[in-house]
Amino acid sequence: MTASEIYARWRTRLVPDHVLGEILSKNWIDNAIPVIFLVAAIAVFGSIIPNFFLFGNLTDEAREFGEIALVVLGLTIVMLAGGIDLSVGSTFALANFITLALINWQGWPAGAAIACALLAGALVGLVNGFLVGYLRLRAFLTTLVMLIVIRAVVDTLVLNYSTKVVVPAVRSPVWDYISFEDIRGVPVAFIVAAVLAVAGHVFLTRLRPGWHILAVGGSRRSAYNAGLAVRRTVATTYVISGTLAAAGGVFYASRLGAATASTGVGLEVAALTAAVLGGISLGGGRGSVTKALLGAAIILVISNSLIQMGLRSGTNTLVLGVVLMIAVAIDVKWLKNRFKVLSRVYVSPAYFRLPPSPSTEEGSDSPYALNDRLHDVELIGLGEIDAAEDPILDTDDNLYFGSRQGDIIRYFGPDHKDWEVYAHVGGMPLGMAFDRQGDLLCCIAGMGLYKIVKETREVVKLTDETNRSWLSIIDDSRLRLPDDLDVAPDGRVFFSEATVRFDMHEWMVDALEARGNGRIICYDPRDGSTRTVIPGVRFANGICVAHDGKSLFYASTWSCTIERYWLEGPKKGTTETVIADLPGYPDNINRASDGTYWLAMVGMRTPAFDLALRKPGFRRRMVQQVAQDEWLFPQMNVGNVVKFNEAGEIVDCLWDRRGVNHPMITSCNEHRGYLYLGGIFNNRVGRYRIPGADPNFTNQGSYWGAGK
Amino acid sequence: MIASAKRLLDRWRGGGEHAVTVPPMDGALRPNEAIEEAPVLVEAAAPDNLATDGARLMFSSGASVLELFSSGARAATKPFAAFDSPVSALALGPGGSVAAGLERGGIALRGGRHDCLVMEQIGGRALSCVTALLFEGEDTLVVALGSQRNGPDRWRHDLLQRNASGSVWRVTLPGGQATCLADGLAWPCGLAAAPDGGLVVAESWRNRLVGLAPGRRPAPLLTDIPGYPGRLAPRAGDAGHWLAVFAPRSQLVEFVLRERDYRESMMREVDPCFWIAPALSAAQSFLEPMQVGGLKQLGVLKPWAPTRSYGLVIGLDAGHEPAVSFHSRASGQRHGVTSCVEFGGRLLATSKGGGVVVSLPLPQGGVR
Repeated sequence: MTASEIYARWRTRLVPDHVLGEILSKNWIDNAIPVIFLVAAIAVFGSIIPNFFLFGNLTDEAREFGEIALVVLGLTIVMLAGGIDLSVGSTFALANFITLALINWQGWPAGAAIACALLAGALVGLVNGFLVGYLRLRAFLTTLVMLIVIRAVVDTLVLNYSTKVVVPAVRSPVWDYISFEDIRGVPVAFIVAAVLAVAGHVFLTRLRPGWHILAVGGSRRSAYNAGLAVRRTVATTYVISGTLAAAGGVFYASRLGAATASTGVGLEVAALTAAVLGGISLGGGRGSVTKALLGAAIILVISNSLIQMGLRSGTNTLVLGVVLMIAVAIDVKWLKNRFKVLSRVYVSPAYFRLPPSPSTEEGSDSPYALNDRLHDVELIGLGEIDAAEDPILDTDDNLYFGSRQGDIIRYFGPDHKDWEVYAHVGGMPLGMAFDRQGDLLCCIAGMGLYKIVKETREVVKLTDETNRSWLSIIDDSRLRLPDDLDVAPDGRVFFSEATVRFDMHEWMVDALEARGNGRIICYDPRDGSTRTVIPGVRFANGICVAHDGKSLFYASTWSCTIERYWLEGPKKGTTETVIADLPGYPDNINRASDGTYWLAMVGMRTPAFDLALRKPGFRRRMVQQVAQDEWLFPQMNVGNVVKFNEAGEIVDCLWDRRGVNHPMITSCNEHRGYLYLGGIFNNRVGRYRIPGADPNFTNQGSYWGAGK
Repeated sequence: MIASAKRLLDRWRGGGEHAVTVPPMDGALRPNEAIEEAPVLVEAAAPDNLATDGARLMFSSGASVLELFSSGARAATKPFAAFDSPVSALALGPGGSVAAGLERGGIALRGGRHDCLVMEQIGGRALSCVTALLFEGEDTLVVALGSQRNGPDRWRHDLLQRNASGSVWRVTLPGGQATCLADGLAWPCGLAAAPDGGLVVAESWRNRLVGLAPGRRPAPLLTDIPGYPGRLAPRAGDAGHWLAVFAPRSQLVEFVLRERDYRESMMREVDPCFWIAPALSAAQSFLEPMQVGGLKQLGVLKPWAPTRSYGLVIGLDAGHEPAVSFHSRASGQRHGVTSCVEFGGRLLATSKGGGVVVSLPLPQGGVR
């Protein structure tokens, strides 16, 4: 073993390379950049500015955070629906003035004054919403005009009445409470913002109107075609934004109690920067409340720190502008390249060394010696079939298998000429078996374990999830690629899941990883529970309960082994390897009439691929640089059928030397003296007469007795 | 400085000369099934080098040289000569001379003025890898030596070792005074006379044709051929050349050529038949490497599947640009076209991997 190989082996053992891709595939990874930005900003300014973390400082910041967070939340909702609201700063100033005017000058009760301010904000939003939503004016220009108009109104009011609004006419306990009191050190503004944030999160992620907003922002036309009230939804977002901006203004009024011409100036830039920095997409449809809050926190830390450092306010805006530019650039680049990065790093091949491959040379004394006995198999349904992974027969000689179109097809026995769609299951059916009642159990890719009831043909879901493993990053509780199943005498269904990291259409990528991504799972119909029995199997595939029902055999495809798991007896719960060095890739296993087992080999090992398994770096670079069609892959055009006994000895071997008549064999099922061959990329089912086989053997009879 | 920085960047990103992409078969190279569907003139074991002097037609097959008598669609062969080693190159000259390069080394002449002459070395260099021969008159022979490290049968080794030790010589018979026309070529294995008196050489591992002229450095005439160019033959009327491309380039092979560790392990541990390397014949064994796109779907291997073997003859115009092409695609069998000649109004080509000599009709109205 060379040094590079030893390194590769230890690296695979010690470094979980696949985790990086799994983390990147998480939805919350979008929040990573703002979080890093926030931590960096706090670290930088925390080290520059003395007393940065002082409690009083933090309380002040929390109060201010409440205000800006409200404004950012409102803007976020508009942006999520695909719009933009530049008038938030002016609305903020207007609400500030109205609140102070009504309380200090007119002597209104605080509650009524606040309600009035909020109403004013909502009204501004309604005008915006009407113009943008119903009249379909440009959001940018419309809200820019609104920014100027409201600003002009506020400026006029401030110019004329600023002195009158500052001095309170009567003191209001409610207003004082909002202004000066804390609840255990937490200011009211912050609490209100927090409550609204939680409500906003629930609204956006759990409620219908929130979904509508995201749908409109994601694709306006699709939302319209789906029957959503696009115009109303857009208009509503501006009303929400106006109201929230007004709420921010109210808290600003409570904090400073002053109305000046500079109130809320530049706030729209700060809020926009916060939203984009947090990861709210300018294009709409992408974002969350968490992102908005993160962005608001970043902006607050930066702008307050700059003020504390004694920089002029012009500098502040300049810095915000630069940050906004960076944020927009990141937003565009990240959105564009995230999936590129993910596709580069997700596949993470592992080191794997297979034992030497046994000879398959024709005429040698190897049990796998090449022959041409499958050359003359009869073909059933040539050209009518697509993707018959695992054909099985019932006691009435009807033939069942799945199709790529999501059906289970039945060919009527005994001549297998006519056929019908037995049941539509909606996903690609893979392994099948009959249970004691004669119901058809079926593993369906991407869906789970299903049952088709014999009498009614009703499709019943048995299970689609198992227990989640503790250390897995990706959610492995959902079944992704259930593959084959078998039923134990006590009714428990054992089934294999080929891989938890890839979907059905990417199964070949799993071959390049050669990681233990698969598992054996047990579904217990007695209590409806599902749990993982054997994790970490390299592409768990065929599964077959032994003739005596005390153990089960399963195939681990990429490691070219057959394993045995004991269901009862002294070795109960343990696994042992029965065949350690197959010359090919094992697929489905089924019972044979003479007490042995049929094993279909879907492909053969090639020296070049076996070598590549020892070079994970080679495979990783291949995935990154070479087009998928050109990847090196296990040989899957030639397969064969072998028969093995419980001791793991090969007792028979059937080949189709040229692979013309029946290329690719994924399953073989014995029935009344014949072997039925399936192949997932094939357009036929093969039928081979087994010399000297029991003409009365059926799988259903073997499992559940001749009576059934 | 900038160039070397760019090379480093390319190496890291897999761009530039480190890219694994291969040129597309487009324009004049658009695939067809002409070779696959062409009538078979004669079947033979690994027919290799077709050669003609205008009157006679011969080809090498293993250790023997066969003369081909063509009459319409049918043809008959007659043994012309047999050697103690497989023939690696063949040329017919004026005056009845036949020169044969031998796999074990050396060049043997039969017939003509230099009958029974055997050369073992030229210019102090052993004739261990004669890949192509060309007569320039009765007493002058141009010899292409593919490599200094490998014999003609070890051409895959030479490719995967990334050698560039081939050379082209002009030898005066019978004395054997030789001048080296070019050295450091990456497996030259096709020779043709250029109208201006120079030579056109197919440089396989660099996927290009170069022009040799006295006193000048080798100049590229056609680059980025989507395969490994082999032997050249003149087209009637001094209108360019026929180029036999004996194997296709493939992304996977290009990738393996850049993966030193894997390549060396493969050459050390794996039987050469099962290497990831170009091949002359369509897959013979399931132990050969397979690629994702080579998976049979519904029992059919797609003609556009990735492949390590292919049949391709390109007709080049006088400016060495491809004008017409004949193909046998991934789903076919007539792969490894190592040579072709234009004879009697038809184009004959040897499919070394498919074991046939085929006869192709020339394109109507010639080629511009």
